[in-house]
Amino acid sequence: MFIHIFTYRLKCLLRDYEGIFWTMLFPLILATLFNMGFSNLNSAEMFNPINIAVVNNESYRQNQSFKQTLEKVSTGDDRLFNLSVVSREEADEMLKDNHIDGYIIAEQPIKLVVSRSGIKQNIIKSFIDNYMHTFSAISNILEKDPGKLQSLINDIESKVKYSKEVSVTNAEPDNVLIYFYTLIAMACFYGGFLGMGEVSDVQANIKPVAARINTAPVHKLKTFFYSSAASIIIHLTEMLILLAYLVFALKIDFGTKTSYVLLTTFIGSIAGFSFGAFISAIVKKYEGFKVAVIVSVTMLCCFLAGMMYQDMKYIVATKVPILSYLNPVNLLTDAFYALYYYDTLTRFFTNIVILTGFIIVFCSGTYLIIRRQKYASL
Amino acid sequence: MQVFKLCIKVINKNKYLLLVYVVIFLVISFTLSLTAVREMETSTSFKPAKTEIALINEENTPLINGFRAELAKVATFVDIPDETEALQDALYFRQVSCIIRIPQGFTEKFMNGENVQLGKISIPNSIRNVYIDLCIDKYFNTARLYVQNMNGITQQELVQYLKKDLYDTTSVEMIAKGEKTSVTNLNYFFNLFAYPMLSIIILGMSTLMLIFNDKDLKMRNSCSPISSTNISMQFVLGNLTFTFVSWLIMVLSCLLLNFKSIFDFNTVFLVISSFVFAFCCSGISFLIGNLVKSKDAITAVNNVVTLGMCFISGVFVPQEAIGSSVLKIASFMPTYWYVKANNTIAKLTRFTLDTVKPVLYDFLIIIAFGLAFFSVSLAIRKKYRSYT
Repeated sequence: MFIHIFTYRLKCLLRDYEGIFWTMLFPLILATLFNMGFSNLNSAEMFNPINIAVVNNESYRQNQSFKQTLEKVSTGDDRLFNLSVVSREEADEMLKDNHIDGYIIAEQPIKLVVSRSGIKQNIIKSFIDNYMHTFSAISNILEKDPGKLQSLINDIESKVKYSKEVSVTNAEPDNVLIYFYTLIAMACFYGGFLGMGEVSDVQANIKPVAARINTAPVHKLKTFFYSSAASIIIHLTEMLILLAYLVFALKIDFGTKTSYVLLTTFIGSIAGFSFGAFISAIVKKYEGFKVAVIVSVTMLCCFLAGMMYQDMKYIVATKVPILSYLNPVNLLTDAFYALYYYDTLTRFFTNIVILTGFIIVFCSGTYLIIRRQKYASL
Repeated sequence: MQVFKLCIKVINKNKYLLLVYVVIFLVISFTLSLTAVREMETSTSFKPAKTEIALINEENTPLINGFRAELAKVATFVDIPDETEALQDALYFRQVSCIIRIPQGFTEKFMNGENVQLGKISIPNSIRNVYIDLCIDKYFNTARLYVQNMNGITQQELVQYLKKDLYDTTSVEMIAKGEKTSVTNLNYFFNLFAYPMLSIIILGMSTLMLIFNDKDLKMRNSCSPISSTNISMQFVLGNLTFTFVSWLIMVLSCLLLNFKSIFDFNTVFLVISSFVFAFCCSGISFLIGNLVKSKDAITAVNNVVTLGMCFISGVFVPQEAIGSSVLKIASFMPTYWYVKANNTIAKLTRFTLDTVKPVLYDFLIIIAFGLAFFSVSLAIRKKYRSYT
C-alpha cells in the first residue's frame, strides 16, 4: 500500500508545475537576483587608495619633508593615496569632474580643498593634521632640549602601529550573507505549500479529491503519512538543490561545519512542511485563503528575520529578544548565521532545539485537529 | 465605449487587492525614509565624518582619557555589553565599525617606552577602519615622541602637550556643489516606486485581460458589431486610464510624505519621470496580460518580472553598488533607464537645456520601450484572433 500511495503522490506532485515553481524555481531565481544585486554591496565599504592631487607650486617643491611624507604614503600596495601633482587649475577641474576627492595646497599652513565632507575627505584631512601635529610636537620638544634633533628624526622615521587586529573568529563579517540565509529559511517555509496540500487532500470538505480519498478503505492517517513522505522527499530534494546552487554556483560562504548546515536545512524543511500542515488544519477555509495565510505569515517572519532590511534582525534581537525566538524563520536564519560566524555551537543548538519544539507543536497540533474527522455526507 | 466601461468596472471590483500594494509600499518607504542614512549635508561647511565604535576601556588614566577625548572627534561611542557574541553581532550588522579594547597596564607600559598595542576587532580593509587607525596612530605616535625625547615626563604634562598639539587642524575649503538632502531622500523614494508601480499595473491589467480572454466571452465579443481594432484601442485606453489613476494615487501619497520639497524643480522632474515610467509599465502589463493564460501564472510571472527588473537595475540597491556586467544586462530593461534618469535629476542644480538633455534622452528611451511593448502586444492580439 505504501509504495502505491507514495509513487502516485510523487507523480502528482512532480506534475504540479505551479507548486514546483514556488517551492524550487522561485527561490533559485531570487537567489540569482540577490547575487546579481548584492555582489558589490560589500565593496562600497572597502578601502581603496583615495585619489588626491597636490598643487605643484614653489612652496610644495621647497617643503621637502611634506613632499617626502606625502610621497611615502602614496606608494606601495597599502598606500593611502593615489597622488597626482598638478597645477591649481587642473586640480580644480579634476575636483569638479570627481576625478579626485580633494586637493592639497602646500602653503603655510597647509590647506585642503574638497567639494563635500565625506569619510574620504576626512581621511585626507586626518593625514595632514597628523603631519602638522608631529611638527608641533617636534618644535615643543626642541624648545626644551635642542640637542634631541637627531633622535627625533629617527623616531619620526619609525612610525609605530598602535592597534592590533584581534580576530575572535575566522569568519569575515560579510553582511550580505544574511540575505541568502533568510532566503533558504523562506524556501524552507514555502515547503508549507506542500504541507498544506497534504492536509487539504484528506479534508473532504475542501477538495473533491479528498472526498474520494476519504471513501477509500485505507486508514486516513496512513494515507496522510504515506503521501506526506512523498512531499517531504520532494521538498528535501528541492532544498538540497537550492543549497548546492548557493554553495557551488553562487559561492555563498556557509562556514566549515558542512554536516551541521545540512542538518539545519533538513530540520528547516520539516519545520516548513509541518507549519503548512498546521495552518491548513486550523484554517478551515478554501485553499486560496490558506495560501494567503501561509504567504503572509512567512513574509512577515522573513521581514523580521531581515530578508528585506537586514538591520531588522538586529533591531528585533536587541529590542524585543523574545520575538526573535518566537519567529521560526529567524531561528533558521540565525542557525546558519551562528554556524558561519561563531566558533561555539551554543547558539546554534539553542536555535535548533527551539525549532524542533516548533515542529513538535505543529505536528501534534495538526494530528489533534485532523484525527477522527468524520463527514456526515460526502 | 462598452469595452472601456467594462474595464473600469472590473478594476473597481479588484481595487482592494491593488490597494494592498499601495499601502505596503507606503509603509515600507516611510520606514526607510525614517531610518535612511543622511550622509549628504546641506550646509557648505566641512564636517568631520563620525563613525560608530565600541570602546572597551579597562583603564582610567589621564593618557587614556585624553585618547578618548581625541577619539570622540571622529567617532561616536556605542555601548555594547562586553560579551563575545554581542560584540560580534554588533560588528556584523554594522552597528559599530570597530571595537577597540584598551588592555590593563597599557598606560604604564606606554610611559615606560615599551611596545604596546590596543586590541581591535574590525571589518578588515574597510574605509572606516583606516580612518580610525589614522586617529589612533596619530595620538600615540605624537605621544611617543614626547615619551622618548623628554625624560621623566609625567602623564599630566604629556596630556597637556598633546591637547595643545592636536588642537590645531587643517583649514579646509569647500567648493559648493550643493547636493540637497531632501532630494536624495526623494530620489530613493521614486526609485523604489518602480516596484509597486509595476506590480500593481501588471496585476490589475492581467486580471482584466484574463476575464476578456475567456474563450466563450471572446467568441461572443468577436461577433459584436464593433471592429476588433476599436476593441483593442478601447482596451489600451482602459489600460492607460487605470495606469494614470494608480500613478496619481501613488505620486500624491509619495509627495504628501515629503511635502517639504514639493516645490523643487527636481521634484517636478522626478514626478514627470515616474509618469513616463508608468506609461512603460502599462505597455509591459498589456504584453503580459496577452501572453499569460491562468490566474496562478500571473502571480508567478508578476513576481519574477518585477523582482527581476528591480533587483538588477538598481531599484532596491543603488546602481553604483551593482557590478558593471549586471548593469549591462539591466540596460535592456526600462527600469534601468528610469533609475538612471532619477539619479541624474537628483544631482541637477541648474536646469538648462544642456543639463537636462541626458534626462530627456532617458525619457525617450523609456517611452520607446513602452511603445515597443504596446506594439508587440497588439501584434500578438491580432495573431491570436486570426486563430479563433
